[in-house]
Amino acid sequence: MKKAVPDPQDMPNWKSDFPIQQKKATHVSRREFAKFLALFSGTLALANGVIVIRSLLFPAKPLEGEHYVCQETDVAVGQMFQFKIEGAETVPYILVHLEESEWRAFEQKCTHLTCAVRYREDLKKIECPCHHGFFSADTGEVLQGPPPRPLPQLQVVIKDGKVYVKEKNA
Amino acid sequence: MSDFRSSQNEAHPNKTNSLMLGIILLLVLFVSIQIWFLFGALNNALQDNMYFAITTFVGSCLLALASFFVLRYLPDPLKAERKKKKG
Repeated sequence: MKKAVPDPQDMPNWKSDFPIQQKKATHVSRREFAKFLALFSGTLALANGVIVIRSLLFPAKPLEGEHYVCQETDVAVGQMFQFKIEGAETVPYILVHLEESEWRAFEQKCTHLTCAVRYREDLKKIECPCHHGFFSADTGEVLQGPPPRPLPQLQVVIKDGKVYVKEKNA
Repeated sequence: MSDFRSSQNEAHPNKTNSLMLGIILLLVLFVSIQIWFLFGALNNALQDNMYFAITTFVGSCLLALASFFVLRYLPDPLKAERKKKKG
């Protein structure tokens, strides 16, 4: 049996103006998918190039000079103190009072997904609570978990009962 | 009359399908390696390891070129549809 052909007179105007079926418009062929993958591959290569260019043009600037943090008496042994250093960008740090006259300062952003890390006095380690990454409170090295790099560290200087930080080996 | 092309098609009726599958798998492999490179480059560039970032960039570019090159071997769209349109 033949299908009844619709009379063009009965067809609404929009159908004749845009004669593409929805099924055809949303269908993705394997050819199109393969082309999309190739395009995505090109985009990834570009992104890799952006990383190279960015690190060549804008290298990480070392911290200049000494920055006052707090009084020595403000942080008891085994405690930590959060502070920020303003600059081109504001970077949060933690100051850890490990033992008597043993101070450490680390960047507070976890090297995994930049969660805020904290010092756990009971474990004597720095912990990232997001994915249970642990860093050495002494050196900032990764002890456990997903972080790929150690925590960036600053040098702590004590002058007249005041705590200052500066770039390590500066 | 049977010619070379039709007899070849008869001998291997799934040729287009196999080619398509092979190309798509190859492209997925290239893209996976590139994502791996990108992740590594990001971490190493943060650690001032520029050589790794440059090497992965070159590798990623070569893979992208290979991806575009592989598209040359995509089978033609089915001709039956074209004939229908003509008719």
